Amino acid sequence: MAQKELIKRRTALSANIIGFCRFIRQKGFRIGPIEEVDALKAIEILQPYAAPQDFQLCMKTVLCRSLQQQRKFDELYRQYWTELEKAVDSKVVESEGDGQKSKNSGTQQPSFQALKSWLQGNTQAEKEEVATYSAFEAMGQKDFSSFSEDELTEVLQLIQMIARSLAFQFSRRQKKAKRSARLDLRRTLRLNLRRGGEIMDLAFQKPPRNKRKIVLLCDVSKSMDLYSQFLIQFIYAFQNAYRSIETFVFSTSLHRVSQQLKDKDYKEALTELSQSVPDWSGGTRIGESLTTFYKDYASKMLNRNTIVLILSDGWDTGNVDALKTSMNQIHSKAAKVIWLNPLAGNPAFEANVQGMKAAMPYIDIFASAHNAASLRKIASHLRKR
Amino acid sequence: MEHSGLAHIKDLLQQQAYVTEPSIVMSIFLAKQLKKPLLIEGPAGVGKTEIAKVMAKALETDLIRLQCYEGLDAPQALYEWNYQHQLLHLKMDEQTNSSLEEKEKNIFSDKFLLKRPLLQAITHHKAPVLLIDEIDRADEEFESFLLELLSDWQISIPEIGTIQATHIPQVIVTSNRVRELSEALRRRCLYLYISYPAFEKEVQIVQQKVPGIDDRLGQQICLFMQELRKMKLDKIPGVAETLDWAQALAALHIDHLDKEIVESTLGIVLKDWQDIRQTQLSLSELFEKVGAISKLDQL
Repeated sequence: MAQKELIKRRTALSANIIGFCRFIRQKGFRIGPIEEVDALKAIEILQPYAAPQDFQLCMKTVLCRSLQQQRKFDELYRQYWTELEKAVDSKVVESEGDGQKSKNSGTQQPSFQALKSWLQGNTQAEKEEVATYSAFEAMGQKDFSSFSEDELTEVLQLIQMIARSLAFQFSRRQKKAKRSARLDLRRTLRLNLRRGGEIMDLAFQKPPRNKRKIVLLCDVSKSMDLYSQFLIQFIYAFQNAYRSIETFVFSTSLHRVSQQLKDKDYKEALTELSQSVPDWSGGTRIGESLTTFYKDYASKMLNRNTIVLILSDGWDTGNVDALKTSMNQIHSKAAKVIWLNPLAGNPAFEANVQGMKAAMPYIDIFASAHNAASLRKIASHLRKR
Repeated sequence: MEHSGLAHIKDLLQQQAYVTEPSIVMSIFLAKQLKKPLLIEGPAGVGKTEIAKVMAKALETDLIRLQCYEGLDAPQALYEWNYQHQLLHLKMDEQTNSSLEEKEKNIFSDKFLLKRPLLQAITHHKAPVLLIDEIDRADEEFESFLLELLSDWQISIPEIGTIQATHIPQVIVTSNRVRELSEALRRRCLYLYISYPAFEKEVQIVQQKVPGIDDRLGQQICLFMQELRKMKLDKIPGVAETLDWAQALAALHIDHLDKEIVESTLGIVLKDWQDIRQTQLSLSELFEKVGAISKLDQL
């Protein structure tokens, strides 16, 4: 009720605030009616005390939801109020879906051609399923660069299997627990026998928590373009099959994309990705990217429970020494480093790419990942361990 | 209500010896007024938890703290039945001839309910400050559970029924950004980011918290810390470390920093062997910076 009233009593100031909300929504802020109401309420509360800088701070506090947004905010705020005259459109017509719409149309990154064209290409591929063609087919096995719907499902299953076997390979089925919903009858009885059978202490059990975490580092540089379809599937499936996972993609620089992929449907995730990774299919600087990863995230994310999964062909145009050092560091901190190389499936492949060579000593499991068969191999390999 | 303006909050914080910034004051003010949870992010050791403590003191209410950890689940945060107590009670009750219903009602009463932080918070006699510390360590399931609680403010216990919040607590959620928090949680909260304090602010903090400290020593310590944070360290020391160090040096009656003192007390500030070694190697360089600036100050 109070919300409606507030919106009704619209003054010039509140119209401007709404206008501002719409403005920053176009700049990628997720502002819905709730945020707008909050902003209006906040201004009303603040009014008697409002110095200009307090007013700005107030809007910042109400409208920002992350550090990145806070960093952008001051500049946007200045832009808006200096160009207020131009922003005449301050009609208050709102709907929930609005934010999403303007976001899509507003900030499409032009440098994301590869993924975009793939997105379009994919729909075609689905229609012309029979006519798929691959240069690798000559080798007797279908490559990921051309797989059909059926195979896609299989690949997704395989990825889930891999994710699961990574998760459970070190744990038992049930373990003691302090308190949980499940009584451990055997232990309870044993525990209380010495009291003459009076059940005083209860013993519980629960399935062991999957403490393994995965950090997925995925190369999306130009040289991996052939596999981009597979890569995206892989990242997406992995992110959704596995709970504790952090995903990064890199070509010339490193991007954390976990949040863009989580709890989104496939299309949505792609749009999100496209907006946050400007250098998709750019050059490769594995060394620099891994160094950034180590510097910024390793101390938080890597420990003896973390498996680092790197998906890359090892073609590095950057600093090989940096690659070596960072691989060493990552290897020493993580439980296991797994490197999946799509090129390794080629019989002619030898690990003599400079980057690959440098990284080799610090890899626990090196495997090819270029088709369903190779994935199956990885899955069974992991299960055996 | 009129008293709770910005200035009032600022006064309250200052009374609690908390050195503030406008953005902190504004966030607390708005969180209180809009009755929204406040999400505080920032590196370790910049006083995120401290804000909740100060706030509780300032509002003259209690602080209820829920420390999150990996594997924390709803029952541990809500309530448990005191099974042993119930059992003993039943044993003692065996002689009396009360009916089964009565007995049942008896053992599932408040007396045997162990309230965990979240239940405590919503049944407290006065709206408390509820600190949910390091939410990023808990799993996503817990986060969603929390979201539900934060919007409904009620907890249902099968044996008793639904418990409605008597007061809505002031919620403060902190995160070290180990894991990205969900958009849903972010949207429900006001957001505050605290980073390491600037030099002047840190000096103020040291002077407030370590009253007896020599002025020059305080400044030197803070300068040193500022330079230290610029280095590529594994674990960057926070304000807590600054204060520990200042306290230690003050207790040793030291009135200025020199290389020897720093070398022998570096373990208070840095907790990682590699970091310590790296700092020791570049100690003279660090000192040049610190020394040069403090000389300028004296001119």
